[in-house]
Amino acid sequence: MSNVSLYSVAYTLSSVLLGALAHLFPAPIHGWLISGTVVTALAAVIFAAILLLASMLNTILLIWYERKLLGRFMDRRGAMHVGYAGLLQNFADGLKLFRKDTVRPGQADPLGFWLSPTAYMVTSLVIFGLLPISTGWNGGSLPLTLLLALVIFSFAPLFIFLGAWASNNKYSLIGGMRSAAQMIAYEVPILLAVVAVVVLAGTFDLNTIVLEQRNYWFWAPLFLALIVFLTGMLAEMERIPFDLPEAEAELVEGWNTEYGGMLFAFFMLADYLRALVGSILVVLLFLGGWTLPSYVPAALTSFPLAGIVWFMVKTYLVFGLFVWVRASLPRIRTDQLLRLGWMRMVPLALLSVLLAALVVLSHCLPLIGCVPSMGG
Amino acid sequence: MSATPEESPGREEKPFLWVTRPLATAAKQFVKSLWRPSTVVYPFERLEDPKFRGEVAVASGKPIGVGEIWDNYRGVHALNINTCISCNLCAFSCPDVCIEMVTVPGGDPKHPKKCPQIDYGKCSFCGFCSDACPEGCLSMTTRYELSVHKREEMVYSPARMFEVYKSKLPMNPIRVERPANEDQILLDPPICIGCNACSRDCPTQCITMLDIAKPTAKPGEKLPKRIWKEPVINDSDCVRCGTCISVCPKDCLFWGTRQ
Repeated sequence: MSNVSLYSVAYTLSSVLLGALAHLFPAPIHGWLISGTVVTALAAVIFAAILLLASMLNTILLIWYERKLLGRFMDRRGAMHVGYAGLLQNFADGLKLFRKDTVRPGQADPLGFWLSPTAYMVTSLVIFGLLPISTGWNGGSLPLTLLLALVIFSFAPLFIFLGAWASNNKYSLIGGMRSAAQMIAYEVPILLAVVAVVVLAGTFDLNTIVLEQRNYWFWAPLFLALIVFLTGMLAEMERIPFDLPEAEAELVEGWNTEYGGMLFAFFMLADYLRALVGSILVVLLFLGGWTLPSYVPAALTSFPLAGIVWFMVKTYLVFGLFVWVRASLPRIRTDQLLRLGWMRMVPLALLSVLLAALVVLSHCLPLIGCVPSMGG
Repeated sequence: MSATPEESPGREEKPFLWVTRPLATAAKQFVKSLWRPSTVVYPFERLEDPKFRGEVAVASGKPIGVGEIWDNYRGVHALNINTCISCNLCAFSCPDVCIEMVTVPGGDPKHPKKCPQIDYGKCSFCGFCSDACPEGCLSMTTRYELSVHKREEMVYSPARMFEVYKSKLPMNPIRVERPANEDQILLDPPICIGCNACSRDCPTQCITMLDIAKPTAKPGEKLPKRIWKEPVINDSDCVRCGTCISVCPKDCLFWGTRQ
């Protein structure tokens, strides 16, 4: 793996830019421009810009990826004409939405109406910034990153409900209510599944969780937890079959019925950004993050930025799984979702916590052979 | 997964199938269409391309591959301007009145060459015109793409149909045999004034004006003022277009059977 970290890239860019800029100015300003404070401040801005760019590009690519994949599942081709294989179609769509007027319904509450898409977008971006992509490629390594990410992840129904309430539209309101009600079905199983991972890894720090998977990826002992986590993530992202809040057949477009133009684009982008973040979480917690098993030839893991490449490959494969589910299953009812969450997923998640505890106690994996050196 | 026996009676035996069976179906479809979905990317490939001729269906007693255009498909007309004799039969036969005879270069000033111009906004692709064409110069091809941006572009001039002809598209070979027209052009001699209009306008030049004997006037009788010639029609060359009948100023030509 290469040693280039996101911060070193940002810092180098910042010092090069400021160094070039400083030549244009006389001595006092020159000296101030190349001082450590200014360079660090600009580095932080560049850092954030890189993260923003990466998240937005990935999100738009993810939409393209889903359209193409969904097309194959439905025996058709998806976007084709703008750019190579329709690669630029979503950029064109985004440009169109950007140019459109944003209309607020007369009776809608302005503050809530404008605030909700922005907050939805910003919280999704914050989660993306928290998650490590590769060694050294993350926004910040806190001891409780995983917990923080999950907490921010579950902010979303709040903002959805806020926007739905402010829209002053019955369909929006029903969608927002459903979104809030749906939350109690999936949050508990997701957190229990995460508890199983945390028990096995012994930490809430995502970098360490990935490092703990050096001997075996956590999906092997925690397959049940993986299933629960995937299902819960589907509900968390409000994707089919759990897209009750925006059930097109009954609720027009659900909670974003009244939103158009760039505000709709915000919701759309944030939706897919959350899908991306969900896939990233699955990869980090269960599929070994940016590492590959030791039997993989070294040539595949030693090229520059190999960690990021393998991480993205895994992420897109996991997202492909979500698309597969979307292509296959019909939408279920609220009561079915609640029954699924409480009567199936919670017991399974508890079982997997028990399994994780047993694995830690025995320091051994009887299922896949003995692993003597357990971390954590 | 979430279905319970009392809610959905069909699923009590294997509730898991509710999830697994659709997933399997979708996966099967995905694998099948991974290399090539069944979508035909139309402007870039067409159903009649050889690669789509896999299955064989039997239609009209003849095996026709999927996507193959039928032999008697009636599409855009091809017009061979060189053999067109300006007989006007296509325009006569058109039930939609979409054919207009327009002048094309190549005729002499007295005898302008006129070829059909077809307005595809009106055309119903019945094929009567190509059946009526005595020279076989107007026939229908298998070209079916007619979409245009402007209404005026739907009118195909003779030159444009000549381009279609030159592109050597498969022609519609099945032609309705023209019903044997036993009628011939007959002349009512006393009315004829020998004006030469029929001979001049005959597209096949099968009418010749022959001298007739000028009768000697009886005393007190005045001979009609006329040219002492009469049209003689060569039946074997006549395409029975009726041009001579329509141009005759005295209506002395008519359809009939020679006794």
